[in-house]
Amino acid sequence: MVIGIFYFTQESFLDINKYKNQYTRNYYIENALEETGAKNIVSAIYMDYRLFDSIFEAGILLITATAIIFMTNKDEKD
Amino acid sequence: MNTSEIMKCAARVLYPFMLLYGFYIILFGDRSPGGGFQGGAIFATAYLVTIFLPEESRIKRNTLAKIEKVLFMIIILIAFSSYFTRGILFTNFIPGNSGINDKRIFLVLLNFFISLKVATGLILIISAFVEEGKVE
Repeated sequence: MVIGIFYFTQESFLDINKYKNQYTRNYYIENALEETGAKNIVSAIYMDYRLFDSIFEAGILLITATAIIFMTNKDEKD
Repeated sequence: MNTSEIMKCAARVLYPFMLLYGFYIILFGDRSPGGGFQGGAIFATAYLVTIFLPEESRIKRNTLAKIEKVLFMIIILIAFSSYFTRGILFTNFIPGNSGINDKRIFLVLLNFFISLKVATGLILIISAFVEEGKVE
């Protein structure tokens, strides 16, 4: 199974036209600059097309920080 | 915490350059690789370099926790405000037929607040282990 995973990822990196689902890829490359105003397509994706997921990303950091503060509190001796 | 003079001197020299580099990556986040999350990690590193220096004017961890929650609310408000100007939730609040340069205002604003939130979160996480659980 591990050999199969290595083989298929290497094949997809070498020739991406073999796997023929390129609709979203072509849409992002052609329309991202006019609709969002960002030359960086990664920034256009995580700030304009998928902003809902970035909100939850920020929420995960908040919950992690409160959990670590809760777990590293020193108990006071009575 | 055992510190040496070399570490204190190096921290004093490196701190403004790291802040400047972090600002560059955040503000140009929509033109070149970088953005909010990456720049926030650089801000956190710049603050944590000064943890060797004596603590006369350092921000307390309680106020940092309050600032983080306020920043999270501000990010949600900025994302929500596109419903009133455009009718679509969670997108740019500038109308769709303006130029490319006008839509950058939203991206720079959102990058800035995301970076501050990520920086305060990482500072709280890592400084909890340095101070060994002290709560002040």
